[in-house]
Amino acid sequence: MNTITSLSRRQFLKNTGLAGSGLLLGLAGTSSTIAAESGSFELPPFVSIQPDGSIRIGMPCSEMGQGIHTTLASVLADELEITIDQISSLETIHHPAFRNEPIKYLTSGVMDIQMTGGSVSLIAFYGSFRKMGATAREMLRGAAAEHWSIPIDQCRAAAGKITNTATGKSLGYGELASAAARQAIPENPPLKSPDQFKLIGTKVPRVDTPAKIDGSAVYGTDVELPGMLYGAVRHCPVFGSKIDSVDDSAAKAIPGVIAVIPLENVVIVVAANTWTAMQGADALVLQTTGGDSSFSDADIDAKIQQSLSGSQLGAPVAHEGDADKAISSSDSTMELEYAVSLQAHATMEPPCAAAHVTEEGCDIWAPTQTQDFTAMVAMMVTQLPAEKIRVHTTYLGGGFGRKTNPDYIVQALIAAKATGQPVKVTWSRTEDVQHDQYLPPFGVRLTAGLDSSGVPNALSVKLAGPSPSQPMVAMMGGYFPPWLAENGFDWATCVGMFDFTSQAGSYAIPDLKVNYIPTEIPVPVGFWRSIGTVHNAFALESAMDEIAHASGIDPIDLRRSLLREKPRALTVLDRVEQASGWGSTLPEGHYQGMGYIYYLDCYQAQVAEVSVDNRGRTRVHRITCVIDCGQAINPAIVESQIQGAIIYGLSGSLNAQINIENGRVVQGNFDDYPLPKLKIAPVIDVHIINSGEQPGGIGEAGTPLVGPTVANALFAATGKRIRRLPIRRSDVV
Amino acid sequence: MTISLDVNGKIHEVTESPETPLLWVLRDGLKLTGTKYGCGIESCGACTVLIDGRQVRSCGLTLADVEGRSITTIEGLSSDRSHPVQRAWAELDVPECGYCQSGMIMAVASLLARNTSPSDRDIDRTITNICRCGTYNRVRAAIHRAAELMT
Repeated sequence: MNTITSLSRRQFLKNTGLAGSGLLLGLAGTSSTIAAESGSFELPPFVSIQPDGSIRIGMPCSEMGQGIHTTLASVLADELEITIDQISSLETIHHPAFRNEPIKYLTSGVMDIQMTGGSVSLIAFYGSFRKMGATAREMLRGAAAEHWSIPIDQCRAAAGKITNTATGKSLGYGELASAAARQAIPENPPLKSPDQFKLIGTKVPRVDTPAKIDGSAVYGTDVELPGMLYGAVRHCPVFGSKIDSVDDSAAKAIPGVIAVIPLENVVIVVAANTWTAMQGADALVLQTTGGDSSFSDADIDAKIQQSLSGSQLGAPVAHEGDADKAISSSDSTMELEYAVSLQAHATMEPPCAAAHVTEEGCDIWAPTQTQDFTAMVAMMVTQLPAEKIRVHTTYLGGGFGRKTNPDYIVQALIAAKATGQPVKVTWSRTEDVQHDQYLPPFGVRLTAGLDSSGVPNALSVKLAGPSPSQPMVAMMGGYFPPWLAENGFDWATCVGMFDFTSQAGSYAIPDLKVNYIPTEIPVPVGFWRSIGTVHNAFALESAMDEIAHASGIDPIDLRRSLLREKPRALTVLDRVEQASGWGSTLPEGHYQGMGYIYYLDCYQAQVAEVSVDNRGRTRVHRITCVIDCGQAINPAIVESQIQGAIIYGLSGSLNAQINIENGRVVQGNFDDYPLPKLKIAPVIDVHIINSGEQPGGIGEAGTPLVGPTVANALFAATGKRIRRLPIRRSDVV
Repeated sequence: MTISLDVNGKIHEVTESPETPLLWVLRDGLKLTGTKYGCGIESCGACTVLIDGRQVRSCGLTLADVEGRSITTIEGLSSDRSHPVQRAWAELDVPECGYCQSGMIMAVASLLARNTSPSDRDIDRTITNICRCGTYNRVRAAIHRAAELMT
C-alpha cells in the first residue's frame, strides 16, 4: 500500500465527513498508481498530476448541462494555481469519497450515496474541492522548497509551476510531481482569501462546450462497443398492469430482431440496430392483467379533494406557534386553494444505457444521476460482487431528476446478461412520455389569518398529493425511511412552504402549521426539477398576491413586511423592483406579477411581464430574476441555469400537461406534449447579487417562481385568479 | 442491397433496408452519433442535418429518399469547429446539456446560408428545434453573432 494513497484517502474521508458512513459498495479502491514508481502525484479521486505535466481531475457529479464540471474544476484549479486549459482530463468517477453529504443530511442519513441532484453539488463539494486544490498546491510548494533548499514562502505557485521568488527560476508541476508525492499531507492547507481568487467568481468558459458543438460529446445514447447489440422497450400501457402473455411472432419476423425478453411489466427487444429494435417493440402484441384501467384525471382530483376536505390530518410537517388559535382570533381570514397537474421530464436524451456482463465483471455506461444506484442494480441483476461492477458515467442529455431512477439501466443489464453481448437500450420518445416518474399532482389549501392592517400573522397549510420520493423508496426495497411522511416529514413535498435547514417558513409568520396528507395514485411520480416547490411556491406566492390585493398592499411591500428580519431578502426585493420597472408605465396591454422564494440557500425574486389576447393566449414578454446565491462561482453559468430553469418552469405553467385516461397516459410525443420553443421564450434578465456568502444551489432555483409570477401577472391583466397549473386559455377569458 | 450515400463529402456503401430512417443509418450504421434521436416524428429537430445545404430532420427521411443527395452532419460542418455558427456558439457558451445542439447548429447553419442577417422574426420562424435546457436566449444572441462573423 502506498502511503500517499492511504493517507490521502483518510484525509478526504475526514474532509468530506464521510468517514465511517454506511453504504460502502466495496469500490473503495483508489488509484492503483504508486507515486514512487510512476513519478505521479495522486490525491485520489480528486486530482492526479503526471510527470509530463498532464493533470487529471476526478468529478463526483454527473454533467447534465448544469456546468458542474466547469464549476468544480474552477474551484480546484483556483486553489491549485493552474489554468483551466492545463487540465488534460475531467471525468465523473464512481468513488465512495464522492458520496453526497447534503443528500444524506436531507434524507436523515438514508441516502448515503453518490448522487447528482437537489442542486446541492456545490454545497457538497465546494469545500473539499478547494481543500484538495490547496493541499496539492502546498505539497508542490514544499517539494520545490526542498529542491532549491529555500523557505517555502519563497515558492510562489501560479499557472502550473512554482517560481523561486529570489531567483525567478521555476519548475513545472509535472517536474515536481514525484517529489511532491513524498511530502507530508498538510492538515490545514491555507485557503485563498476571496481577493486572491483568479477563477472563482469569473466567467470561466465551459469545459464541455467544444465537444458539444462538434458532435463529439458522448452521451448514453452514443456509446458504441465492439459486438454491441441494440435494444428497445415496450411497457404495459396501463400503470400497475403486468404482462400476461406476449405475441412476438410479428416482431421476430422482422429481419434483424435477435431476442425478445419479457419481464414483469416491460418487454425488451434486442436487434442488430436501434431502429429494428424499436420496430420490433412496436410489433409486439401484449396481453396484460391488473392495473386500474378506469383511472383518470378526475379520480386524481377527487382523491386530492378527499384528502384536503377530510377530517384526516397528516402528520404536522412544521409547527411554529399555534396557527389554529391565532387564525380563530385574527381580524380576518382567507381560505385559498391551488393545484398543480402531472408533468413529464422529457429529457431530450430519452432513457438509455449500455451494459456488458461477463463472469469477469460488469461494465455499465449510463447517463445517470446516481452512480451508486447504478452499481446496486448491477449487483442485483448480475449477482457479481461490488468490486466487479464498473460504472462509466456519460454526459447526460438532460436529467432534471428523471435519471435518478435506474429503471432503464436495469433493462440494459438484463439484456446484456441474457445475450452475453454488450447491449445498448434506448427508449422511444413515446415510452419516455408514457412511462416517466412524473411531477406529482398536488392540491394545496391555505388558511391565512390577517391582522388589522391585512398582513398575514398565521398560516395553516394542507398539502395533498403523492410523494415524489416514491421511486427512491422502491429503490431501497420498500424500506420506508424516516424522512417520509409516516414519521412526520417529507422534505420533497413541503420544501418551499417550510425550509428544512432553517426549520422555518419562507416568511416571518409567527404561527405556521403545515400538514402533508399522503395521497396515493396509481401513477408513478418522482423528482421533477425543483420538486415540491412547484406546488408550494405556486400556492404560497399566489396566496401572497391575493392577500396583498385584498388588503390594498403592494405585493412587494407585503413581502418586505414579512421579510424585515432578512437583509439579503430585502436587497433582492429592492433590486427586483428597480430592475423590472415595477409600478412604472409598461407597454400597452402588458402587466406584471411577482414572487419571492428562499430555496437551496438562495434568496430570489422574479417579476413576469405578460400580455393576454381576447382568446386567452398568454404571452410572457420578460422575466426579471434577482438572485443572491451566495458566492457565484461562475456568473455565466448561474445566469444560464436560471434562464434555463425559467423556461423549464414555463413549460409546466403554460404549455403542456400529462393527462390520464383509462389508467394510462394520453400524450405520446412532442406533438401532444409540446415544449417551449425559441419563438415563445421571453427575454430573461438575470441579476446576480454577490453577497459573498457560502454558495447555494442554482440548478433548480429558477423554476418554481415562474408559475406564480405569470399567474399573478395574469390576475393583474384580467382580474381572474389562476388556481391550477398549467394555465388554460379558459382560465383567463 | 447496397445504397451509396454521400455523407460529409465521403461516399459510403450502406446495406440497411431502404425504409430505414436516415437518422438511424447515420447513427447506428455510420457511427456518426453527433446527430441525435429526440422524437422520431420530425417535431424536435435534434436529428437535423443538411441535405444539399438545407436543414432537414433526418428521422423523417428514408435511406431511399436520400440516395445520391449530399448530406452534411455536425461532424462535417467543419473539421475544427471553425464554422461561424460553431464559433459563435463557443463564444457565447450556448450549450447546457448539449444534446439538442448539433441539430440546433445545423438548423442555424442552414438559415444563415440563405439569409445572412436574419431578423428575430426570421429566427422565430425557422429555428423551431426544442431545447429542454432552455438555452433560447443564448441561441438567439449566438445566431446574430454568427451572422456578424459571416460578414
